[in-house]
Amino acid sequence: MNGFSNYLRMVWQVFRKDLQVEWRGRQGLPVMLIFALLVVFLFNFALQLTPGLQAGLAAGLLWVSLAFASTLGLNRSVSLEGENNALAGLLLAPVDRSAIFFGKTLSNLTFTFLVALVLLPVFSLFYQQNMLNPRLVLVILLGLGAYTSLGTLLAALSIQTRTRDVLLPVLLYPLALPVLIAAVEASRGVLAGQPLAELQSWLSLLIASNILFLAAGLLLFDTILEE
Amino acid sequence: MPKKQPLLTALNILAAAGVLGALILILFFTPEEAQMGAVQKVFYFHVSSAWAGMLSFVIAAGAGALYLAKRELRWDWLSLASIEVGIMFGLAAILSGMIWAQPIWNTWWVWEPRLTTTAIMELIYLAYFILRGALNTPEAQARLGAVYAIVSVITVPLTFFSIRLYRTIHPVVFVSGGSTAFTMSPRMWTAFIVSLAAFTVLLAALIWNRTRLAALQSANAQEEN
Repeated sequence: MNGFSNYLRMVWQVFRKDLQVEWRGRQGLPVMLIFALLVVFLFNFALQLTPGLQAGLAAGLLWVSLAFASTLGLNRSVSLEGENNALAGLLLAPVDRSAIFFGKTLSNLTFTFLVALVLLPVFSLFYQQNMLNPRLVLVILLGLGAYTSLGTLLAALSIQTRTRDVLLPVLLYPLALPVLIAAVEASRGVLAGQPLAELQSWLSLLIASNILFLAAGLLLFDTILEE
Repeated sequence: MPKKQPLLTALNILAAAGVLGALILILFFTPEEAQMGAVQKVFYFHVSSAWAGMLSFVIAAGAGALYLAKRELRWDWLSLASIEVGIMFGLAAILSGMIWAQPIWNTWWVWEPRLTTTAIMELIYLAYFILRGALNTPEAQARLGAVYAIVSVITVPLTFFSIRLYRTIHPVVFVSGGSTAFTMSPRMWTAFIVSLAAFTVLLAALIWNRTRLAALQSANAQEEN
């Protein structure tokens, strides 16, 4: 029992540390946020979008900007540990290294979720559609949970290569495709006014992805960091 | 000189004979499908390639897990060989699928679940080589390659289900309204089973040869050092 509470404390400490670093440096979240907004502007003109956007397009646009922006956060979250040998300090902690994975996933989820919370009113304003919907927030949380847990795993992998963070999108996007399809479809359904019961298969897919990727991190993260 | 492996030679011959035999069966013994005509005969090698590709990615993940458990490089060679061979089979499945789709659906590409999943799978496993190429030591290549092969195999069924579900909601409207659905006669079944078996043997032979090549390359590299 003591071991487990140590483990949880480690998860919490990694999470708290990441938040603290972000609070003091403010180098990750603002970049993600501005980038997400830029993607919205880029797509608006690239796809000739109109203010009265269909639910489907709004959901797709939201997820594309979230997926792109969170790549920045994921890369930063692991490259941070490379500076001043911070990773060595983390690895010295006498708990299973998957605790680092859960802590980092939690902080990445928090940052990406905050970006999403800013995007929702912005989208409502730009595209004349109320997106401040608690059920949409639930879908976003589920989708981002799966996306960031897979992303944290792959970011730890790509940071060890010679090309470092350049590799992450190439590894992450094809593997995250089912999560993005399910998240876009569920968001589209919510925005079109469908009850959650009708979107059950998409939500189950998101929940299953969460479980699978968290389990993969639990089992494999120690191996990824081993040196 | 590496020593000869009579079992491998036998497997090579069996694979060649099997594919040739399947080809003869398909060309001369199966009937032409009533609606689609001769082009339907692509089906035999198309499905067999897709099967072989899928199987090789599962083997790659299994070999990756064995590498992580035992830390013997030969499991990594098997994993690498399976992915390389799997990519070629996947490509064969996509190309033959396109050849089939053109006359039936009047287009080279449809966003059909199986075809799309195979294409995504190709992208996933191409990234595997970029990942390996960007790592410095054989140990890191083996370790991180194994992790990636395992994570990838988890997402492939998720991709398939999500695209299939997507397509039931947004069905593809085919230009000419054709369908690849057909009933198989006993002769068609025979040719199909023979093709599947022949491609499975071919897969085994290719993976074995490629694994052996990796082993020889590794021995060579050690001699030079």
